[in-house]
Amino acid sequence: MAFRERIEKNTGNIFRSSEEGKYFPVVSRYTAGVAGQKFLEEIKENEKIFGTRCSKCEITFVPAKLYCERCFARMEKEHWVDVGTRGTLYSYTVAYEEKDGSPKETPSIIGAIKLGDGLLFHWIKESSADDLEIGMEVDAVFKPKGERRGSLVDIDYFKPKK
Amino acid sequence: MGKRVAIVGIGYSTFRTTSQDVNYREMIFDAAFKCYEDAGVKHPREIDAFVATSEDFMEGVSIADEYVPDQLGAATRPVESITGDGIQGLAAALMQVQTGQLNLVAASSFSKASNVIDYYNVVSYACDPTYIRPLKEHPYFIAGLEMMKYLHGTGTTKEQCAKVAVKNKENALDNPNAAYGSLVSVEDVLNSPMRFDPLGLLDTCGDIDGAIVLLLASEEKARELNKEPIWINGIGWGTDTPNLDSRINFGAEAQYAKLAGQKAYKMAGIKSPKNEIDFAEVDDTFTYKELQHLEALDICAPGDAGKLLEQGAFSSKGTFPVNVSGGSLGMGYSHEANGTQKVMEIVLQLRGEAGKRQLDGVKTGLAFAWRGIPTATGAAVILSKDK
Repeated sequence: MAFRERIEKNTGNIFRSSEEGKYFPVVSRYTAGVAGQKFLEEIKENEKIFGTRCSKCEITFVPAKLYCERCFARMEKEHWVDVGTRGTLYSYTVAYEEKDGSPKETPSIIGAIKLGDGLLFHWIKESSADDLEIGMEVDAVFKPKGERRGSLVDIDYFKPKK
Repeated sequence: MGKRVAIVGIGYSTFRTTSQDVNYREMIFDAAFKCYEDAGVKHPREIDAFVATSEDFMEGVSIADEYVPDQLGAATRPVESITGDGIQGLAAALMQVQTGQLNLVAASSFSKASNVIDYYNVVSYACDPTYIRPLKEHPYFIAGLEMMKYLHGTGTTKEQCAKVAVKNKENALDNPNAAYGSLVSVEDVLNSPMRFDPLGLLDTCGDIDGAIVLLLASEEKARELNKEPIWINGIGWGTDTPNLDSRINFGAEAQYAKLAGQKAYKMAGIKSPKNEIDFAEVDDTFTYKELQHLEALDICAPGDAGKLLEQGAFSSKGTFPVNVSGGSLGMGYSHEANGTQKVMEIVLQLRGEAGKRQLDGVKTGLAFAWRGIPTATGAAVILSKDK
């Protein structure tokens, strides 16, 4: 297909002013925040997924947030809700490309998993894409405790409910 | 409703997939020179202020707004930079004229995508560092999730989405400013390599380099200048939330487009968009986005866009032509100039300067742009001419 050739970028001959100034060597530190800290610690220490509930808006935010983004209320300690580790599949996709656009050796399935009123974005495994359906129940599979570092990927993946 | 403001000049550089000869500031200079000449402004000294649109990391320098003035003829002059889509820059320029203190304000936007070697990293870096980035996936998986949800929720089919690409790439063949015009079939689109199922390669855009400069004038000044004024009747922009997890009906609908459209319609006094607007240039960064945006902009009911497309309603000879220019699928994706590229087409159509693709008797047009993955920000503008 001729038009595909035009999609290709011609980046081979780009004239660089200096190799020295080619990169942007800045590394950032990210603070998970008050809500993020507890959310990630509960995953790491207790294999639990927590949200925060705004009683006025009747929304349970997952991942947990310190404040309600609808009504601007601060969701204090008593608003923490254990939403369980079983969610429903809100949507899914099969990623055929690596982050840099190169083809993946093994495509990965990525799901948007509804927990409380929020979504977690994570891999779906132990299933083929053909067997997935929007609305089906999926369970979180955690990494072994010793491998958990306080990150979203302490959850290894989600799998369809057996 | 504030004071009336018109677009009185437009200039653009050549649009092409790569531009190894000129740098982005030279591209903007080219567009600015043509814009001022188009309006009959002899020198940028006659212009009161300048607004530039740009985005982090796309220029390859930080504090990029320092690199704005010279190419617009604006060194030593009042300059403002807007981080966002070109229509958001247009809104800032409009408000400056509406203060009554300024009569002529220029607005620029550009894309030099061919210089951004690791664009996927720019988009990835825009994603939430705690809840999205740890997956280390290509950020377009978000578009795959959205499209799957949209198809599932509305009953729209992959074939209908494919027909968006077929239409827009064919439209682009009549546009000398379009780089991705071609005759493709529905099968070509459906059989193109899968990227993020159900999103295939031909559901996505190729990049384009180019710069666009618009000149805005107060009503009084507009009447003095060369060109037939193209009035900005309404403008609006909106953001849902940056958090993918708490967006309203994530994927199923485009809340940001609703917000932007409603604000622009209200300002323009439009009650029934599909009856009061003649044609539109609507963001088609991905095929499903054109359909989803048309529904959010109240051009048709939710879930109806695919069917209307198949009936030919959105073709250049249809009842409501959409993306006659070829859109981003046919012209190429111009990043922060995305919205301005759409404004440019509306202006050319309303002036009767659209060449082979000229629509008959159009008086009012809508341009809408989305700021792309991973954002939930959109901007809309309604333009019209006197008679």
